[in-house]
Amino acid sequence: MSQTNRLHNSDLAERAYRVRRNALIMAEVQGQGYIAQALGVSDVLAVTYLHAMTHRPEQPEWEDRDRFLLSVGHYGIAHYAILTEAGYLPEEELVTYGMDDSRLPMSGMYHYTPGAEMSGGSIGLGLPMAVGMGLGLKRKENPAFVYAFMGDGELAEGPTWEAAISAAHYKLDNIIAIVDFNRIQADGPSMSVMSTEPLIEKFQAFGFHVQRVNGNDLPALVEAFDTARNHTGAQPRIIICDTKLGSGVDFLENREKSHFVRMDGDDWKRAHAALDAWRAA
Amino acid sequence: MNVPTNKAPVAAATIMSSSVDEGYPTRMAPFGHKLVELARHRPEILGMSADLAKYTDIHIFAQAYPDRFYQMGMSEQLMATAAGGLAKEGFIPFATTYATFAARRCYDFISQGVAEQDANVKFIGGLPGLTTGYGPSHQATDDLAIFRAMPNLTVIDPCDAVDVEQMTEAVADHKGPVYMRILRGAVPVVLDEYNYRFQIGKAALLRGGRDVLVISTGFMTMRALDAAKDLQKDSVDVAVLHVPTLKPLDEVAIIREAQRPGRLVVVAENHSEIGGLGEAVAGSLMRAGVHPAGFRQIALPDAFLDAGSLPVLQDRYGISRRVMGDSIRRWL
Repeated sequence: MSQTNRLHNSDLAERAYRVRRNALIMAEVQGQGYIAQALGVSDVLAVTYLHAMTHRPEQPEWEDRDRFLLSVGHYGIAHYAILTEAGYLPEEELVTYGMDDSRLPMSGMYHYTPGAEMSGGSIGLGLPMAVGMGLGLKRKENPAFVYAFMGDGELAEGPTWEAAISAAHYKLDNIIAIVDFNRIQADGPSMSVMSTEPLIEKFQAFGFHVQRVNGNDLPALVEAFDTARNHTGAQPRIIICDTKLGSGVDFLENREKSHFVRMDGDDWKRAHAALDAWRAA
Repeated sequence: MNVPTNKAPVAAATIMSSSVDEGYPTRMAPFGHKLVELARHRPEILGMSADLAKYTDIHIFAQAYPDRFYQMGMSEQLMATAAGGLAKEGFIPFATTYATFAARRCYDFISQGVAEQDANVKFIGGLPGLTTGYGPSHQATDDLAIFRAMPNLTVIDPCDAVDVEQMTEAVADHKGPVYMRILRGAVPVVLDEYNYRFQIGKAALLRGGRDVLVISTGFMTMRALDAAKDLQKDSVDVAVLHVPTLKPLDEVAIIREAQRPGRLVVVAENHSEIGGLGEAVAGSLMRAGVHPAGFRQIALPDAFLDAGSLPVLQDRYGISRRVMGDSIRRWL
């Protein structure tokens, strides 16, 4: 059955906590990973999958599903965390993350994981792929949305802007782009590596309906996704989500900002404890 | 780079043409017309181009089915990836641009956006090898080498209009990503007298011969057949094995023909000597322990080629009918 029971704020908070917990379980297996991003984007993904999207986790290729494209492949850990919470994957599988022959490779790929619509990782493929799927859905008169999930560093990739131009040209109102604006990329703070600001004005000039929200504020996210879905303009939509790296684990929020986190065994126990304390608060 | 000459300036028609040799009838835009014919009964077939529809013959399709053609502007990387997206939604996009741009500019997008995800996209590359005198920006001397290295991609190079038409149908039927070179505009008809049928992955022995075995692809098969006729007058007997599919390579046919004793093997292609059919055949023969009487390549040099008129350039780089025949005589 399709998901018609869209979750709202109080339920979402608990589910977003569980997404974070799933991510911590995976990161602990490897002792390292893109855990800070996964924690930061958990609220965005919870709202996307548990409030905004129409889909059938038990039938990942259901024709009328909304499509979710993970362009930033290294967010695989975050994607598996929400796919598990949404019912695509059993919880027991989380501990196979990044292991040989696992369905949960460290960089998300199409052929590996139920619910993975594309292979990301070569950054800049997501929005161009969304343009093709958006065109295809329109040809089929299928009202599904394509959610294209990108990182902030990805906005320096040229094809993202080729896709932005064409999405507006073809009036692809079935595309909802999501940017995780966490201000960090591989070589340092995103806006010093290569500033893409002012983003709102840029995407508006490219013909998008643009929203920018606190990506760790569930009510604000719900409102933004509702607005994007219900907007009647014949234009693509984008939601730029300002997220806090490590959100929910205080010592990760406060440590020096890092693209890639390595921690010892005890630190992972501390992280789980900190997350539980955050949930209780 | 060139020695100055006192010759009259060359006409534009000799800078960009489909390299039709004398004596062959031609058909106009065989790719575009065949695609229109196929699309009549197959609504999943779509067309795309990156501002080169008119120059890749897909404008014929765009005129016939305007609502099934997507103009993507000068954004080849976008086109390649969006084609992958359309394929994911069940369509069969034929995406055209020049072979140089498909190979050099789009490689990652075809590799990761299409081939790795097994998306059913057909990339069509115009101006293959040395079929334009515009210089290295437009001369696709390396596309076969580049695409042969891509896993899960079928790579084909047509000889003539017969090949182009049959390939268009075959790649539409084939499930999986394909890179197909095309000849555009007035394309010679060569293979109709050889009882030939294109099949993906199959080579075709077009004529037998005792002295030389030419293994060729693309329009160099036309040149090989021409050179074979010329050499016949000198009592040199030349066999021609046409290998339109670079990948998967028909190693069985290649090895079978190359191991027949006493023949010089000449591999001919409209492509760099690096990474194309010549090296593919050499590798196959070495792995199989086949040692022919001799092994030579007729191919473009490992260089950025000159700009100029095609007849002059094809002579200069050794892929014209005349120079090909001279080379073979010299090697015997």
